[in-house]
Amino acid sequence: MLFGALCAGLVFGLYFTLVGLGLNLIFGVMRIVNLAHGDFIMLGGFAAYFLFYLLGLHPLVAALVVMVVFFLVGLPIYYITVPRLLLARDSEMLSVILFFGLSQVIEALTSIAFGTTERSIPGRILGTGPVIILGQRLPSAWVYGAAVSAVATAAVYLYLYRTRLGTLTRAVMVSRDEALATGIDVPRVSAIAFGIGIALAGIAGVFAPFMLGSVTPSIGTQINIAAFAVIVVGTLGNPLGTVVGGIIYGVSLMLMQTYLSSWAELLPNLMLIGVLMIRPEGLFGRKTRRA
Amino acid sequence: MLPRLLLLLSLVTLICTGSTVTESAHAQAVPSEIKIGTLYASSGPFASISMPVYDSLKMWVDQTNAAGGAFVKPYNKKLPIKLISYDDQSSTATAATLYNQLITQDKVDLLISDSGSVLTSVAVPIAREHKMFLFDVSGTGGTFFSKDNPYIALMADPVSTIWPKYIADFLDSTGVAEGIKTVAILYATNDFTTTQANAVRGFIKAAGKLQIVYDQGVPTSTSNYTVLINNIANTNPDAVLHLGYVGNDIAFFRNLQDSGQKFRFVFGIYPGEEQEGLTKNVGVAGLTNVFSYVPPSSYHYTPNLGMTLDEFHAAWEKAHPSGSGVEFGANAIYGYMTGLVLERTLATTESMDQMAIHNAVFALSGKLKTLDGTFAVDEMGAQTGEITPLGQLQADGNGGLNLVVVYPPDLVTGKPIIGK
Repeated sequence: MLFGALCAGLVFGLYFTLVGLGLNLIFGVMRIVNLAHGDFIMLGGFAAYFLFYLLGLHPLVAALVVMVVFFLVGLPIYYITVPRLLLARDSEMLSVILFFGLSQVIEALTSIAFGTTERSIPGRILGTGPVIILGQRLPSAWVYGAAVSAVATAAVYLYLYRTRLGTLTRAVMVSRDEALATGIDVPRVSAIAFGIGIALAGIAGVFAPFMLGSVTPSIGTQINIAAFAVIVVGTLGNPLGTVVGGIIYGVSLMLMQTYLSSWAELLPNLMLIGVLMIRPEGLFGRKTRRA
Repeated sequence: MLPRLLLLLSLVTLICTGSTVTESAHAQAVPSEIKIGTLYASSGPFASISMPVYDSLKMWVDQTNAAGGAFVKPYNKKLPIKLISYDDQSSTATAATLYNQLITQDKVDLLISDSGSVLTSVAVPIAREHKMFLFDVSGTGGTFFSKDNPYIALMADPVSTIWPKYIADFLDSTGVAEGIKTVAILYATNDFTTTQANAVRGFIKAAGKLQIVYDQGVPTSTSNYTVLINNIANTNPDAVLHLGYVGNDIAFFRNLQDSGQKFRFVFGIYPGEEQEGLTKNVGVAGLTNVFSYVPPSSYHYTPNLGMTLDEFHAAWEKAHPSGSGVEFGANAIYGYMTGLVLERTLATTESMDQMAIHNAVFALSGKLKTLDGTFAVDEMGAQTGEITPLGQLQADGNGGLNLVVVYPPDLVTGKPIIGK
């Protein structure tokens, strides 16, 4: 049972890397907390649902559509909200309030528009029967979710470390003021990073009906808690630390389900408290947050 | 002579005045409407069971008001119903505040709890403290009902302690005869399903014919079961009983199908209770031959009050066309059924005092038959009349599923299929 839990946790955790990646990228670049992140994931799930049932789009194709659309949606949201936030003395705290409000609005509008019942996409779309990995039976949808997460993470890595825009993004992550002083178009770099963060949330949402069973307008809050545990463990503001954070979260969750199943719900909170008390900067953090 | 005449006049005046005063007081005491207070959850984990209940309760209110209101015996006339409702968003903390508000600020005449045991759990002590009778729609937790609390009765669902009786009886008889020897129990840790887990565990142990090889609780928020299913498979059970809410069942049966694990007997609460929604989310293949409770939405009870199942289903579909986001199922019936109990209670209560309401509700026990079955409560207010037959979702030959009753023997509509 231990080996099974470890294997399942690894694959499940890779998906949660994707869940936390966009949130961490946005925080890393803009130092704002997008509390509506889980709701964008929820919207990604609804988008995949409707793209499947109305247009017959396979989730992998839907992920591409959602990625583009959510990126484009993220840009105006950035320009409407973030520049004003960043003018404030305590933009981090104000962002919590603003995006909490946005989260509530998104959930309410989705409930009104689509109702509150659970929605999901047939699992057979991503393959029938389990995939055997190291002798362990795992749903094929999990393997798809983990694979897409790995591709998305690699793409973010290439963007940050192999493109000029990525270099500028990392410069903003190190010091927004210094980046401005050196003539970097910080608002443009930030807007693109915000759009990418929302797009990553949308892609994670496409696979939510498979990984979480179903989506409802209210799942955003629960996803947010898990996402925060992942990025705090993997270091706030360090997008690539999210990979380790996600895997630790996934493995811990599966071990809890195996040996202390009734207490599994506490895991994200325990991880948050534990990391903040023992190593507040996260596993890969330095004394000051850096890219 | 004059003094006697004056005395007589005084008496006549007094009687006339008294009569006028009494009539005036009586006229003032008749309210313009009957206020019914309730909560609903438009969001959160309980929205999918709460909204159908709330919508069907509103259907009953609209129908009643369209017919001129509900007859209220203490006032000997029909009065319109005013439904005062608030959104608790599936939060017990919010619900506690709002239940208090309904009682102390809105001063409702009748109080109905939100759907399910979690959101009812906070209503029970509040109603009791305020000596307000609680119409408990579907909060079936066994701990809600006690001999020293007369301020509650369960309307539309049997108390959780008796739900799984037929599961255990079936396994102990037909199951054992078919070679089933071991059972796994996986349940969500909330009042509703924990009570059922405790009950079925007790029934199985009391009979002594089956061995429980796995018995674990998981948080109600659990949304992935792959590892749990693999862990269950490692204990080699013949029968698996999964006791959870709608979201739990969707995730469990999807993961079970994806995992490729097979068990001879698999039970879930909501494949039958919310067949439409579960089939949409899990698919026909994932639910074929799954055992479940047979809810009133799948069995035609003969009512002596209100609509039949077919009539209600037609009315529901008219009000909630496909895609509206609120599915037809057992919960859709529960709200309407609760309205019918309110209707008979108002028509028979001696006064609007809450103990008189209690007496009127309990007097209906065994006499009121609705599309939900026979309304019968025990001395503590726990519902015992509306039974939960054991059914199985079997392929109907047209690519769909048919829920057939396999136990108890007097209600059977089909033969069980137990895996090899």
